[in-house]
Amino acid sequence: MYNKEVRGVLIQGNKTYGQITSDVLAPQERKAPTWWFIAMFVSSVMMMVGLWAIYTTVSVGIGTWGVNNSIAWGWGIINFVWWIGIGHAGTAFSIFLLILRQKWRTSINRAAEAMTVVAVLCAGLFPLLHMGRIWIGFMVMPYPNSRGPLWVNFNSPLFWDVVAISTYLMTSATFWYLGMIPDLASVRDRATSKVKKAIYGFMSFGWVGTAKSWLRFETAALILGGMAAPLVIAVHSIVSMDFATSVMAGWHTTVFPPYFVIGAIFSGFAMVLTLMIIIRKAFKFQDYVTEGHLQAIAKILTFISLIMGTAYTTEIFIAWYSGMEGEIYTFFHNRISGDHTKAFWTMVTCNAIIPQFFWFKKVRSNITLVFIISIIINIGMWFERYVIVVTSLSKDYLPAAWSSYSPSIVEVGTYVGTLGIFGIGVLLFIRYIPMMAISELKTVLKGTSIITNKKDHE
Amino acid sequence: MNNQKILGIYDDENKLISSIQSLQDKGYKVKDVVSPYPIEKVFELLKLKTRLPALAFLYAIIGLIGTFGFLYWTSVINYPLVFGGKPQNTLSFVIVIFVMVIFVVVSLTLTSFFIAEKKGPGAKPGFEYPGISDDKYVIIIDKTQDLDIDSINKLMKKEGAIEVTEQ
Repeated sequence: MYNKEVRGVLIQGNKTYGQITSDVLAPQERKAPTWWFIAMFVSSVMMMVGLWAIYTTVSVGIGTWGVNNSIAWGWGIINFVWWIGIGHAGTAFSIFLLILRQKWRTSINRAAEAMTVVAVLCAGLFPLLHMGRIWIGFMVMPYPNSRGPLWVNFNSPLFWDVVAISTYLMTSATFWYLGMIPDLASVRDRATSKVKKAIYGFMSFGWVGTAKSWLRFETAALILGGMAAPLVIAVHSIVSMDFATSVMAGWHTTVFPPYFVIGAIFSGFAMVLTLMIIIRKAFKFQDYVTEGHLQAIAKILTFISLIMGTAYTTEIFIAWYSGMEGEIYTFFHNRISGDHTKAFWTMVTCNAIIPQFFWFKKVRSNITLVFIISIIINIGMWFERYVIVVTSLSKDYLPAAWSSYSPSIVEVGTYVGTLGIFGIGVLLFIRYIPMMAISELKTVLKGTSIITNKKDHE
Repeated sequence: MNNQKILGIYDDENKLISSIQSLQDKGYKVKDVVSPYPIEKVFELLKLKTRLPALAFLYAIIGLIGTFGFLYWTSVINYPLVFGGKPQNTLSFVIVIFVMVIFVVVSLTLTSFFIAEKKGPGAKPGFEYPGISDDKYVIIIDKTQDLDIDSINKLMKKEGAIEVTEQ
């Protein structure tokens, strides 16, 4: 009973090692399918819209946005937090599961990490643009300067953000690339054309796979993982402190750091689920991303959704229990009821209620429903940030400064642009890089996946 | 790459491991093993160790002292500025220090990894054999004057090598 295999078979179809290599690399060795070009075209158009919006913001100024003195943080910060949240997928997946020795990560970690890198790039754009004068963006870095030298405020969460997010981008990108090196070597060794061999030879850093290399490789990956796990918690805690260290009603709460971290992992996992279902279907990876994998993610989402529900309830309870007028007003008259009810209840429904349907096995094993719910979660997470940013700012302690907010076309354009960049990034990834960690799949093959002819292999 | 090597090619992990064991029992020195994925057992048999964790710890100390030193210098010595009456050497430095330690450890550990491995963009693989990044395992033995090549050959074949060649 205690030996029960919780996850079951991780790689179906009695694959051999050679088959794993050729299966994972097959999509790259074929010609790109038509839908890939269509998706690429759509993403490029979206990126063009984004470039136009960025050009407008930079050349005209932040006045082109819908933000005003009261609501200084609009879509820019909402989308920044949203993208950073999605960018937590890679770390959550690959690193927490690596440290916890969860073998089912192997089919999914590469895609999750790729997503992370692109999502964090998209996220980083927003604070830069929100500065208005992007060309003096370098002034957030502490460097000896001719202004005193006047240093940045090391006590400010906004500066912590700069440090944390650049570290996170660097760490997740290098961790992703490190894991990719052996697989790029596989591509190099199988390449038939000279150009391809040269490119992948250059990118694979001369990898051979000697015992010493593998030992160092695994150690380095574990050290990076061990370093990135606390980092991911730090990053979103710090993002939450951008809000929590202010005195705004609805922001000034101690629950914010864990609430943000969990929310980020929630949206990250949901995005992984969305993408893996598409990749699995498009490239026929059903043997590698099994229903067991998808169900495992769905189960985690159910649990995280419960935490989200608890966090929402806690906030409301504490607002009432504190007896503080501002908090009570914000939560009871500006979120639950009032001008922003639609956003608030969309958030609650999408994040705390709908994912609870995953309790039913029928829902969990219906891929279409899982796909829809995974998208709903990310819509809900977007509204969560909207509720936090806009409701608190719109009606603060000074009624004379109350204001409303609706995004301008430029803000929407920037968001569409980042979606385009994300799309292009993911499409390039699935076209030119092994979508699954081939060498890692091979390490789990024997222990978890050969059932029918187990005797031969033991 | 002047010295000659004997290569035993295998297509199964277990055969590879038992082969390394019997070669070592006979007193032959296995120079290296090439495999498409990491095999813990091989690390044990070849008695491989790595100093990366110790180095990472060292880097963490460097990051800790370096970042604290920088923050202290900028905020207390170079340009002491009062923010709302807070102390200049404040507890909130912990956050920047925490993140910067991670930054320093990650970047320096990776740099050390690539330097130790002599790998980098465009580096040439020092060893090539078809299938080593796919499903073949290779045992490499240095060929010396007094080595009994025939018996190594036989031993490897007996343990299930699909091919024994020289390179």
